[in-house]
Amino acid sequence: MREKQAKALYFRELFATLGLYCLFVSVSSIYADSVPAGPLRSLLIASPILPALLMVWTIIRQFQRMDEYVRIWSLENLGMGAAFTAAFSLSYGFMEITGFPRLSMFATWSLIMGSWGVITCLRSWKEKSQ
Amino acid sequence: MKNIVRELRTQREWSQAQLADLLEVSRQTVNAIETGRYDPSLPLAFSIAKLFQLPIEKIFEAE
Repeated sequence: MREKQAKALYFRELFATLGLYCLFVSVSSIYADSVPAGPLRSLLIASPILPALLMVWTIIRQFQRMDEYVRIWSLENLGMGAAFTAAFSLSYGFMEITGFPRLSMFATWSLIMGSWGVITCLRSWKEKSQ
Repeated sequence: MKNIVRELRTQREWSQAQLADLLEVSRQTVNAIETGRYDPSLPLAFSIAKLFQLPIEKIFEAE
């Protein structure tokens, strides 16, 4: 599949799953309080995991469509983002022991996605300047 | 490895995007090969050789 077609398909799939994710989060946050505590409420609160898994599947499909160099390059970026997140979470874990506020697990998710994005942008910029 | 992909491409007056389309890879990959940042896999090297109708060893050379 040509690069532009693959990218267009990826963004279509990604934005569709993002839209679904927003819908599930909205519905679960609106109705969760009105449902009595129990398995149904837990399921409702956890329901955004379904579109999140679809999003993961979309990203995996895009990796499979990439050519050999771009796949290696992207996985390197993801690896660097994961390493940065691991270093940060370990360091912050020690800082929490000394009294820093506890962070939610959501922070880890944001950090790995954010660092993956920043590293990708920095490396793209470096490649273009060569 | 050194290669003469850029020379072969410019001789034919192709852009990196055109060559990428012909090889069914991304423009980023063509750029990485031309600048020596990436040595292609054997199947891709064969595709490049077939496209330019040259033996692989004429295009790629160990440094």
